[in-house]
Amino acid sequence: MTRCLALLLLALACSGCAPVRPWERDALARPDMAWDPDPLGAQLGKHIQFSKEGSLDGGPGGGGGCGCN
Amino acid sequence: MFPARFRAISAAALLSAALAAPAPALEKGDRAPDFSAPGLAGGTVSLATYRGKVVFLDFWASWCGPCAKALPALDQLRKEFKPGDFQVIAVNLDRDPKLAVKFLSKRPVGYPSASDPNGTVPQRFGVDSMPTSFLIDRSGVVRHVQRGFRDGDVAPLREKIQKLVADKR
Repeated sequence: MTRCLALLLLALACSGCAPVRPWERDALARPDMAWDPDPLGAQLGKHIQFSKEGSLDGGPGGGGGCGCN
Repeated sequence: MFPARFRAISAAALLSAALAAPAPALEKGDRAPDFSAPGLAGGTVSLATYRGKVVFLDFWASWCGPCAKALPALDQLRKEFKPGDFQVIAVNLDRDPKLAVKFLSKRPVGYPSASDPNGTVPQRFGVDSMPTSFLIDRSGVVRHVQRGFRDGDVAPLREKIQKLVADKR
């Protein structure tokens, strides 16, 4: 039991999780690292999907099902 | 109660967690630590040189959008006060200082910028967001910490600087 706990603690300590400092986020700030590199294009795509299929994807979207969007 | 080995490993784990935790950010009333770092334009930038003046110390990077917005606003603020009363100094945190030099060649500012690609100085100040700036009074005490930068921040900042500049103690 003790050995298991010790191993668990050791594993946690060696998990390699290093905090990324605010000034180390240069790579994350690059435009090609964005979830959506082209937000306008994605919005347009969603609108076309909604209009053609009458369905919304899992993302956030307006409209209350009245069909008037 | 616990075996010695367990205690030793627990202590090691706690120590590694403590070491990984970032230093707490400097707050109002804390003394700003002195630093010297090579300047982007050559020479050395040292905080101690500006003791006796009100200093706005700005940590920035060329990839940081709000930093780019802050630079011209800070340069404008600097021009509004006498050089003997108020100075802006910056610490650039780009991993490649050439990027900062390229940035400043397009958008030059009239205040010195140090280069700290390893992030030693921001660790000592406990910088926890980009940009973060510290308004330091004549005696070297932090009087305001500015996190982020928006257009609306300039007016309250000017007021704070005016108050500190008027305080000639």
